[in-house]
Amino acid sequence: MDEMDLPQMKKEVESLKYQLAFKREKSSKTVTDLVKWIEEVVPEDPFLNPELMKNNPWVEKGKCIIL
Amino acid sequence: MGEMEQLRKEAESLKDQITAARKAVADATLPDTVSSTAVVGRVQLKTRKTLRGHLAKIYAMHWATDAKLCVSASQDGKLIVWDTLTTNKVNAIPLKSSWVMTCAYAPSGNMVACGGLDNMCSIYNLKGKDGNVKVMRELAAHTGYLSCCRFLSDSEIITSSGDCTCLLWDIETGTQKTTFAGHLGDCMSLAVPGDFKTFVSGACDFTAKLWDIRDSNCTHTFSGHESDVNAIAFFPNGNAVITGSDDATCKLFDLRSDQELITYQDSSIMCGVTSIAPSLSGRLILAGYDDFNVNIWDSLKAERVGVLAGHDNRVSCIGVSTDGMACCTGSWDSFLPSFSFKGQDNVMRLCKQNKQQYL
Repeated sequence: MDEMDLPQMKKEVESLKYQLAFKREKSSKTVTDLVKWIEEVVPEDPFLNPELMKNNPWVEKGKCIIL
Repeated sequence: MGEMEQLRKEAESLKDQITAARKAVADATLPDTVSSTAVVGRVQLKTRKTLRGHLAKIYAMHWATDAKLCVSASQDGKLIVWDTLTTNKVNAIPLKSSWVMTCAYAPSGNMVACGGLDNMCSIYNLKGKDGNVKVMRELAAHTGYLSCCRFLSDSEIITSSGDCTCLLWDIETGTQKTTFAGHLGDCMSLAVPGDFKTFVSGACDFTAKLWDIRDSNCTHTFSGHESDVNAIAFFPNGNAVITGSDDATCKLFDLRSDQELITYQDSSIMCGVTSIAPSLSGRLILAGYDDFNVNIWDSLKAERVGVLAGHDNRVSCIGVSTDGMACCTGSWDSFLPSFSFKGQDNVMRLCKQNKQQYL
């Protein structure tokens, strides 16, 4: 804050007022929602489910392609 | 009391009130919420493709939304668009300035952008009538280097700069529409969520800020890091942000409760984080470090569950494709002449899940 000049300082105060006004929700709700969202999508996450990798387009399927 | 002194006191008071407001909603922690959740098993990703062709350090890469193409930027002065399935170079775009630090793919696939020490963001049209890729616009207004850029659409792009600001541009007219000022240090990176209504920036003032694109206001400032925030990404659900810093840690911040939820750190990791990306579900966080590794973290349990080793130099960029199937890393691997068979060029490695071992 020491490097700010007067106009910057005024803007900083305005910004802090705006940030203070944000309607924060209780973390007991938001964290539970976040965990729930992650756990619902995990079964679709290719990095966590080897079976989904069967359709992995990057793995070389065979050595020969019929032209 | 001078006006400056008054404002300083007001700012301190507001910061204290924000701290109190955060405390007032902090009735649960992430570790407590997942105390009975098991850590994911060891994650192993196998290198499936190596994209060779750059002749100098790779600074940035970005996936196209089709999850097959990606663009990379190197200080050899080229932007390369890769078909990651065939490893073919779809386009090799020579740049006016080789000091490039960032690149981006438009969601439509029609354009790519890059910029760096030239302080400009150059937009290239990939779908020109004659098939040649040409500069469409050169967006100049930043007074510092371009550290990152991300398209909102074919007509709007956001840039972050060493001049401590981020800008929203109208690509058609080549002019700046909105300035996002407030960071007290170089802006190092930015990320845009799926709804394109907000963006986050990480900076050398050790903070991350969330901005409303339309009214240009900063709605959240996340402190906690003890050094520059080099890397930033949205959590897939858009309600959380992950950051990577020179303080050797990554952090998860929750937007709805305005809290820092957890830190991803290990006493054995002492080097800076350069890049970060979540897996499709967000359960895994992939972070690139100055010690040439990518560490894979279980985002809920904050434990390291995998490592991608294989680069010979700093991992500068990382990206997970939109379908979550692959992650691509780019590096400052040392240059070796192209005739050397076993050499490791400046490489981009594509890694996919190989198998998972349960401990």
